[in-house]
Amino acid sequence: MSIQFKSMVELREMLDTKVISSEELIQETFQLASKLKSLNCFVTMNEEASMRKAIQIDRSSNPKSLLSGIPLGQKDLFCTEGLRTTCSSKILSNFIPPYSATAVSNLESAGSITIGKTNMDEFAMGSSNETSYFGNVHNPWKKDFVPGGSSGGSAAAVAAGIIPAATGTDTGGSIRQPAAHCGITGIKPTYGRVSRWGMIAFASSLDQAGPLARTAEDCAVLLNIMSGHDPKDTTSLDVENNDLTQSLNNSLKGLRFGIVKEFNLGDLDPEVQKRFEDSKVLYESLGAEFVEISLPNISASVPTYYSIAPAECSSNLSRFDGIKFGHRTEHPEDLTDLYIKSRSEGFGDEVKRRILIGTYALSAGYYDAYYKKAQQVRRLIKNDFENAFSSVDLIMTPTSPSTAFGFGSKGSQNPVELYLEDLFTISANLAGLPAISIPHGTVNSLPVGLQLIGNFLREDQILNAAHLFQKNSEFHLMKPSMEDFE
Amino acid sequence: MDQEIVRTICYLARLEIDEDKAQKIEKDLETIIELIGGLSSIDTTNIEPLYSPLEKTALKHEDILNSDNQKEKFLQNAPNANDDYFLVPRVVE
Amino acid sequence: MTWETVIGLEAHVQLSTKTKLFSRASTTFGQSPNTNVNLIDCGLPGVLPSVNKEAFYKAIRFGMAVGSQINQTSIFDRKNYFYPDLPKGYQITQMDLPIVLGGTIDIETDEGNKKTINITRAHLEEDAGKSIHDEFEGYSAIDLNRAGTPLLEIVSEPEISNAKEAVAYMKALHQLVTFLDVSDGNMSQGSLRCDANVSIRKIGDPKLGTRTEIKNINSFRFIEKAINFEVKRQIKQLENGETVTQETRLYDSVKDETRPMRSKEFANDYRYFPEPDLLPVVISDKEMRHIRDNFPELPKDKEGRFKSEFGLTGYDAKILASSKSMADFFETAAKDLLNYSLLANWLIGEISAFLNKDVIEINESKLTPANLAMLINRIDDQTISGKIAKSIFEEMYLNGKAPDEIIESQGLQQISDDGEIEKIINTVIENNPAQVEGYKNGKDKLFGFFVGQVMKETQGKANPQVVNELLKKKLS
Repeated sequence: MSIQFKSMVELREMLDTKVISSEELIQETFQLASKLKSLNCFVTMNEEASMRKAIQIDRSSNPKSLLSGIPLGQKDLFCTEGLRTTCSSKILSNFIPPYSATAVSNLESAGSITIGKTNMDEFAMGSSNETSYFGNVHNPWKKDFVPGGSSGGSAAAVAAGIIPAATGTDTGGSIRQPAAHCGITGIKPTYGRVSRWGMIAFASSLDQAGPLARTAEDCAVLLNIMSGHDPKDTTSLDVENNDLTQSLNNSLKGLRFGIVKEFNLGDLDPEVQKRFEDSKVLYESLGAEFVEISLPNISASVPTYYSIAPAECSSNLSRFDGIKFGHRTEHPEDLTDLYIKSRSEGFGDEVKRRILIGTYALSAGYYDAYYKKAQQVRRLIKNDFENAFSSVDLIMTPTSPSTAFGFGSKGSQNPVELYLEDLFTISANLAGLPAISIPHGTVNSLPVGLQLIGNFLREDQILNAAHLFQKNSEFHLMKPSMEDFE
Repeated sequence: MDQEIVRTICYLARLEIDEDKAQKIEKDLETIIELIGGLSSIDTTNIEPLYSPLEKTALKHEDILNSDNQKEKFLQNAPNANDDYFLVPRVVE
Repeated sequence: MTWETVIGLEAHVQLSTKTKLFSRASTTFGQSPNTNVNLIDCGLPGVLPSVNKEAFYKAIRFGMAVGSQINQTSIFDRKNYFYPDLPKGYQITQMDLPIVLGGTIDIETDEGNKKTINITRAHLEEDAGKSIHDEFEGYSAIDLNRAGTPLLEIVSEPEISNAKEAVAYMKALHQLVTFLDVSDGNMSQGSLRCDANVSIRKIGDPKLGTRTEIKNINSFRFIEKAINFEVKRQIKQLENGETVTQETRLYDSVKDETRPMRSKEFANDYRYFPEPDLLPVVISDKEMRHIRDNFPELPKDKEGRFKSEFGLTGYDAKILASSKSMADFFETAAKDLLNYSLLANWLIGEISAFLNKDVIEINESKLTPANLAMLINRIDDQTISGKIAKSIFEEMYLNGKAPDEIIESQGLQQISDDGEIEKIINTVIENNPAQVEGYKNGKDKLFGFFVGQVMKETQGKANPQVVNELLKKKLS
């Protein structure tokens, strides 16, 4: 039986009933990855170690856990001990971390096998995976179309059925948007739910790690394992981590869904609107009640984000200086030259743009007008959500205003064009709220996603709603034909 | 954008822009600054900035040693180092 | 034209925590390069800082001792700049909401002038690593051992008026931080450094003159010299009608001058913003109470206790209690002996002279309390004379040897035997008839000559009291 397109739950069944051994599963995974190389989902493969672990699992008589022997992709933003970690950047193209990220070690300790590091937008800055030093990732649904970003490689690898799941990171939508463009499920948890130790920092107050998978159920299993208080991360929450799979099947009767007035969904592509309307009807049939809510400052999300994220990143990326690790220029004239050349040679254009904007927003004379102002507006946005959640349990939006687009067709003239892609996803990062994207149809044969934003620490609710949607529809079972890639 | 400002922020960030890309990048910066400048129209009087989504305070750790000598590991990763030190072009103070 | 000097000092005090401010790597001084470094100190991608609570407790103790306001909620900020010994490309420090605000320090110059200096603020920040510029041809070598060590930066108001006051202020600070167990105060190891902001204005001018900053001065002597040089330099400039340039300068102790640091093309804009990886740090009322209840003994209280417990004179008690290292040394040595006042005399007299000459603290010397106690006991039990003790002491100080070892190896035991000394006295008297004659004829001062001769014969080992007694008898 082919392993392609199988969910984690399905693979677990195959392994437990000995339809396939761990070794065979991993072997086939690598074969599949090789066959579909042209997607360019992976930056580094981890064959030897993966095969060894698989063989070990087969030999061991220990009872198998949920994740035992399950192949996963790790976004190349997570430090993996002994395995190259590049952030899809030239500046880290030879970096081998001496330690692993907590989120990764949680998954590996639970038995999963890291088969490779997935491609991404350089340093997670992008919404289309077109800024990687290792080349664009293709959307499995259509060659030369973007998979979304920045977790494009993870999304594409899952959508193409190579692996059942992968990790991603989400700073402004980087898990949800590629999940939507690739027709799979992806969740960004509450800020602080998953430890950021070992997750190479882009924007510290916005970054969160989360899973991408074929189903909400799989996401719940993975998020359970990835989550947890980590004393090494001061921003890690110390809360009781309820089992997110327990409440997956709760009835949605009486659950109040909010539709954001200010998003002006009527202005969207009619096909995208139609998918949204259909999903509303489906939820209503499951007992949900829809309420219009107002988030008065929501239109400020994009400018707010593009003030804060670049500012934090400009500081986080200062450690890339060619001295302790990473790319170093060949013949520096002096120290200043070392810095300037190493960094300018090592970073791509989008990263440079963001560092410059961030430096500007923090600099003397501009700090109050840009950075501080943005953080004040951020509080207004958060307050809006708090108000809204007094009258609704979840907020429903399209994940993205449009479907995937062709390489180079957006943002090359004007970067802001691409930034506006993040319109619906960005606010959840600003407020630190959990949000999930699930596939709910196609427009022009390309997937579109539905986003559910939950209240603080209410991943259980949005996973529940996502799971019941998937129980009552088949969009999550859609598969791309893959003929362009074989 | 003021050339002087561009030069300053490039130096602060230790970045240089290629001649042939300079114009485009400057234009991009202008567009982005215009985007984020739009926030000025929002009234934020008496609003405290929200620097982190969490309204909680820092975990404090005990002053207990929990680290060992990893000199080899670190120096190995360094682009230019000898057995004991990271090396950079000589700095004159 | 009479000029007035205005000085503000920024002291950087290394806290004596076992581990660093944001990582649990060791802060031990003098380790081989890059061995006290962990992932966090190295600024590796993906690492995050975590707060050392003991650093806060030490900072708070300082604040309490100087009567300042303690901000039980304080915030860390990032100070962004590029330098090889700053691994992350930013330093985590405290800008807008530091742990300590205000406070005062009383100073007394060695000329006896008293003054109260106000403190603006004190905050926690991490130290940078070290750069070594002249060991490897063409390269600067970076050692990150020191990177991440906790510092308390204490900023004074610009109320210091001359170099002597500056030294008095730093000495007062040194005493405070050592007594409070906030820092080991070991200046040769860099535990206490200061930056001096110096400006000149005409007396009566309400406006402050342009100031220069002399960075990283690490001894009391250099503080005095650097400030004196800089004041002279600035006055000369102003008298010539020139203006003082605002700049950062370094003190060169070899040439005894300050000179500007290599000027940077653009002034540094540090782009401070609140550290997003750390959240506000809160010290609870319970923690505050605990700190207050466990306050270490300060000089005044120690002075009183030394008087009552050890029977020391007021003068001796005050001097010993004024230096933590000296006070601790005294108490440890006192455990092994009974003659407290003799111990005190040695510490205050002979030993302090040696320490002052070498400009070190007693805990930086090779002396140990046990060895000193042994020496005192040997004097007390008459094994050696006070004079011999002085030469033994020199050996102890230079080589760290124990007195018994030295006495044994050099055969320095005091000769107290009457018979033996009498024999020598007889020899001396026989060999010096003229002096005997002179003494008997009233030249009393010649007594010293005879004592000297006996001492010479015995290489100083004769017991002076016995010699005096017997000589008097023999010469009468």
